[in-house]
Amino acid sequence: MKSLHLWNRRDFIAKPTVWLAASHLLGGSTVLFGQPTQAEPAAPHPEAGGKPICRTLGKTGITLPIVSMGVMNADVPGLIRRSYELGIRHFDSAAHYQEGRNEEMVGSMIKEMSVRDQVIISTKVLRPGWTFGPRAPDQARNYSPAEVKAHFLEVFESSLKRLQMDYVDIFYNHACDSEADIASEGALEALTALKKEGKARFIGVSSHRPEMALREVTKLGVYDVVLTTINYTMANDEGLLKAIDEAANKGIGIIAMKTQAGGFRRPDARAESPLPPASQTAALKWVLRHEAITTAIPGYTRYEQIDQDFPVAFNLAYTPEEREFLSAKNVIAEAQFCRQCGQCRTDCARGVDIPTLMRSHMYAVQYSNRDLARFTLASVETGKGLDACSSCGACKGTCRNYVNIGTKIAQLKALKPDIAV
Amino acid sequence: MNYNVLILASILLSGVPVAFTQQMQLAPMPSAVRERLSGLVPSPPPLRSTAQEQPAFYGSSNLYQYMDGAADTFQAYDIQALFHQDFKVGPVELTVDIFDMGTLENAFGMYAAERSPKYDFVAIGTEGYRDEGILNFFQDRYYVKLAGFGAGVDPAVRQFAQAISERIGGDKGFPAFLSKLPEARRKPRTEKYLAKDPLGHPFLSPAYQAVYELDAGESILMISVGASAEDAASRMRSLEDHFRHTGHWNPASEFGRGAARGSNSFEGSLVAAVSGHYLLILVNPPSNSATFFRDAAARLQ
Repeated sequence: MKSLHLWNRRDFIAKPTVWLAASHLLGGSTVLFGQPTQAEPAAPHPEAGGKPICRTLGKTGITLPIVSMGVMNADVPGLIRRSYELGIRHFDSAAHYQEGRNEEMVGSMIKEMSVRDQVIISTKVLRPGWTFGPRAPDQARNYSPAEVKAHFLEVFESSLKRLQMDYVDIFYNHACDSEADIASEGALEALTALKKEGKARFIGVSSHRPEMALREVTKLGVYDVVLTTINYTMANDEGLLKAIDEAANKGIGIIAMKTQAGGFRRPDARAESPLPPASQTAALKWVLRHEAITTAIPGYTRYEQIDQDFPVAFNLAYTPEEREFLSAKNVIAEAQFCRQCGQCRTDCARGVDIPTLMRSHMYAVQYSNRDLARFTLASVETGKGLDACSSCGACKGTCRNYVNIGTKIAQLKALKPDIAV
Repeated sequence: MNYNVLILASILLSGVPVAFTQQMQLAPMPSAVRERLSGLVPSPPPLRSTAQEQPAFYGSSNLYQYMDGAADTFQAYDIQALFHQDFKVGPVELTVDIFDMGTLENAFGMYAAERSPKYDFVAIGTEGYRDEGILNFFQDRYYVKLAGFGAGVDPAVRQFAQAISERIGGDKGFPAFLSKLPEARRKPRTEKYLAKDPLGHPFLSPAYQAVYELDAGESILMISVGASAEDAASRMRSLEDHFRHTGHWNPASEFGRGAARGSNSFEGSLVAAVSGHYLLILVNPPSNSATFFRDAAARLQ
């Protein structure tokens, strides 16, 4: 059989950009490899009759296998059936996935299998006027709370129709990337009303900004669940890990998304060599070894992805290949992630503010954000910026995180006409 | 943790990086591509509209910045570049997204991946559909999506779409390969081009498919396009391996020479046969479908 995920290194780096770097940063600690779990049983294959590790979703009382299914990109109904057969019990969709057809597929498969009471179905609705991409606040139309509420209620009803269901188990205020999104009065009114009516058993937010979302939801005390991006890139983010624990202690259910891919930039497009399947399961295990995280929702577009990921629910112990992968220096080097440790400051005879320049580089090259790069570059103290670097190469090889400082500064210099103040 | 690290972390953790700044493409986007895409919006823009900002350009590697996880599907269809610009026409605010998919096939594939036969179709581009404040169409190598709001949004969206379609030009044809799919009993607007993972199997890509009403239910006829007869046979063997592992695989000679039927608990039943350098697959074949299948195979010779 061919290797399961046929990602090459380029694909991989394009998605979870910096996660690998953290493995070195953390020096093989328990943070690096995730929290030790109490449950590391032998690993029966799902079809061998074993039972997956299950966890309870905060105060909801819902108990789920730790590996679920994000249906977002799936357009083959058999993927849902196969997932259910193997033991997956949570299926996550959204009103706008495939313009509603994703919900239709979920609904028809659940109905066909007659398993509504056996599964946990979640869906999500975007706030009115939400569009892809950046939009300055003054460009966005201000919707009144009443309009927002009406929008949520209307779209939710259409979701129920597409799902052919009377209720969903979790209904999310979708893509909340600010505190204001989470605290939206209209959204809160709609979601709490639907919960009261029993049409949404529990309510939550989905967000790509996990720490912000976890803290805001914990503070508000209204939502039951947070669905958020959590992956290995965050291994060194103590703030996030603390927010996860604090939210969990308050009874907030936490579901992880983008555990293996998505939402990250590529620092280096040159790498092409194939990645091992262990990269996928290692990443998934790292997330799930945090016991405050109830389940993860990897997306499947192939049967072999299900066969690869779901066995993780039976055994969170790393294989030697996974452990090796998480520690691989060559992969770390490609990630080229500046941890902002500041060690390099003392290595530069001219006192260049290397960490800030590395941050400028990240914004300019990895995030293609000219404004933020310019802003960051402007914050460098006079005499310690790009002009102070003489390209002497003294910094070469001194970064403990394998960042090629000289190359990045050279790239910044080339970009200077675009980002200099 | 100091402020800088917080900023860094917030961006790393965000699928859609900070919303308070405008995203611009600094990664190499050839100026010829920028000019070609910018040239698809008439200058001055239609309806005396005003651009709200300079256009932003995205490539495959940073499309996540614009649309987060939705980028996956565009990447599956090998997106080359995205042109994004906001306009204002009186009270109407309008967003124009022009996706350069590189080929007609990929543009059609991406369009069809988001299309439902139930939509309200419009004669713009090769094919398009509309909803309130939304109009999407494909033409040539481009998939164009327009969205707006405000009083009078629909006429504005339509006029913008027409203007862009005229700039794209070309013959507005569908991918020629679709003609290999039988027309009889084909359900309108169910054709797809699948660049990745047809039926959940990577070894079947690329493939074309459509839904057929052959009996009371619906069936999918798929043509998996091999590079050679040997490649098509290899795809058949992979399918056989899969079904022998997960269910059953038996000869189905009534469907033609070398045809076989595969079934398992989660994919149901399908019939497959090699025809030239194609692998023809009928998913959910009704009992009376052998003639249909043989005729479809003959079209591929």
